[in-house]
Amino acid sequence: MNRIEKIISALEETANHPAKAVKASMKETGKKAVGCFPYYTPDEIIYAAGLLPVGLWGGQTDIKLADKYLQSFCCSIMRINVEQGMKGMYDFLSAVIIPAYCDTLKCICDNWHVAVPQTYLIPMVYPQHRKIAAGVAYLIDEYKRVQKELETIAGKKITEKDLEDSIALYEDYRETMRHFTAIVSRYSKTLNAKTRHLIIKAAYFMDKRLYAIKIKELMEELKRLPEEKLDGIKVVVTGILAETDALLDAFVQNKIVFVADDLAHESRQFRTSVRSEGTALERLAYRIADHDGCSLLYDEEKKHGQLLIDLVRENHADGVVVCMMKFCNPEEFDYPIYKKELEVAGIPMLYLEIEQKMDSAEQIRTRIQSFAEMIK
Amino acid sequence: MFLGIDIGSSSSKAVIINAQLKILGKAVFNTGAGTQGPEKAVGAAFREAGISGEKIKFSVVTGYGRMTYDKADKQITEITCHARGAAHMIPSARTVIDIGGQDAKVIRLDKDGKVENFVMNEKCAAGTGRFLEVMARILDCSIGNLSSLSENASEEIIISNTCTVFAESEVISQLSSGAKRENVAQGAHKAVAKRVAGLGSRIGLAPDVVMTGGVALNKGVVAALEKETGQKITVVENPQIIGAIGAALYAWETASKLS
Repeated sequence: MNRIEKIISALEETANHPAKAVKASMKETGKKAVGCFPYYTPDEIIYAAGLLPVGLWGGQTDIKLADKYLQSFCCSIMRINVEQGMKGMYDFLSAVIIPAYCDTLKCICDNWHVAVPQTYLIPMVYPQHRKIAAGVAYLIDEYKRVQKELETIAGKKITEKDLEDSIALYEDYRETMRHFTAIVSRYSKTLNAKTRHLIIKAAYFMDKRLYAIKIKELMEELKRLPEEKLDGIKVVVTGILAETDALLDAFVQNKIVFVADDLAHESRQFRTSVRSEGTALERLAYRIADHDGCSLLYDEEKKHGQLLIDLVRENHADGVVVCMMKFCNPEEFDYPIYKKELEVAGIPMLYLEIEQKMDSAEQIRTRIQSFAEMIK
Repeated sequence: MFLGIDIGSSSSKAVIINAQLKILGKAVFNTGAGTQGPEKAVGAAFREAGISGEKIKFSVVTGYGRMTYDKADKQITEITCHARGAAHMIPSARTVIDIGGQDAKVIRLDKDGKVENFVMNEKCAAGTGRFLEVMARILDCSIGNLSSLSENASEEIIISNTCTVFAESEVISQLSSGAKRENVAQGAHKAVAKRVAGLGSRIGLAPDVVMTGGVALNKGVVAALEKETGQKITVVENPQIIGAIGAALYAWETASKLS
């Protein structure tokens, strides 16, 4: 196994075994861990407190207990998160932060205290009107409240310098990831759709400082290789996340390369930087204000469609793949708007309705293969 | 000679064509993936064509069972093959509605007969042949007689549940309340038509609209679909084998490129 294979294999192992990876990270860094529900949480504040932010984006668990609190028309990520909480799979976390971006997340905030009483809850509400001064001021107040909660858990005060250092580290991580996703089309075999996904996913279960070092190492090693000829289909993928293994395998089998993504689980986490001016919390609040093209953050100008069109054109993509998380209302409300815009722009589109746990992927496989046959 | 095999969920189809694209043999067996159906269909097509397997230059398999059939040279999806088969039979086709045993598809074609866009039903039996099979069973008639039964309908019945399982309970309730079998049969056709028309509205139905797949043999469904969509629907000759014809055409095209 060469150096590149070793790095990729270690990151894939981390992504495929989150609990084991987080416990290893806690041991390695000596930090307590705080779980972060989708979609955006102030990870920089958690990190500044000397804690380890951990992403909680569902998994492959069968749902039995969570039905007590969430109906079958709630999205699979949230149902699985509650299920895993109720099964005690998050007991090693010192707390979870649950931001109320959608109706389901609001319900979970209410139910968590009784459903998962053993795991401390820090609820958060992000402002709808995130771009106006009042919205920014409100979000800063929310951050201050969360900061106090985290200080109690960490047993230390978070200074302005702690926050600035943490923001600098996260900015480095975000910039690194933007570079990483930009080189995928040059190494489309090594960084196929599945490998790319697992590499990005590993970030949720590692200390961001150590993770960024690994990604930089990987990119350095890749630069030594000759570029790989891209003989497949280039797509931009959008949605909440692109899982399961069967779904990603179907993309790989049909030589479909993710030259860019607009997934909440991937690029939406790192495509927007903080502003350079202001206090640490102001900079964090303005990052949410400046982040566009995400269905979870109210956008009166509806820029999502144009963002996708730009991604297609900048990356010379052949089309857009929509990974629509079943029962995700914010994404479903956005879809008809950008669908029309993509059609007007003449961009082919593949719509896939996905769930985190899909027992049969045959239909999805057929759609992906048909899309590939259509584009060829 | 070139062989196209379409292994669906409820039937297996095979078509043999020659280099002039003339159909020499065709067969349909009402057992699908995971059974002896594909072998029987291929064997019957060979017998009809009067040839043996060695004469086949290239073969393409399509359909739900294509991934597990290892005797063909290439596999292509049923969406691509139905589009190719339909465009070959009716060159003016711009929309193909294919309702099979377990799924329904609406495929838009460009002026060259290539797939431009498509939609498929979700993993649910609503709007598929399976829904009609369940209805036929409750109505105590064969699937082939469901259409003629509905011709004698006297009153419109609405089956409001799209879910096949719930619709089954609903129909049993209606029958026990005195609803006529003929009316229920027509209601079942309308239920399928509504579901498929809804699917089609996602990509638009451009004329000429052509229908393929086993359900196209049911005149009641075709009439209900015409009413729901407001479009004239042309049923291709031998609608069940259109996917296999498309596969055979791809086999011929691939072999031509290779030689």
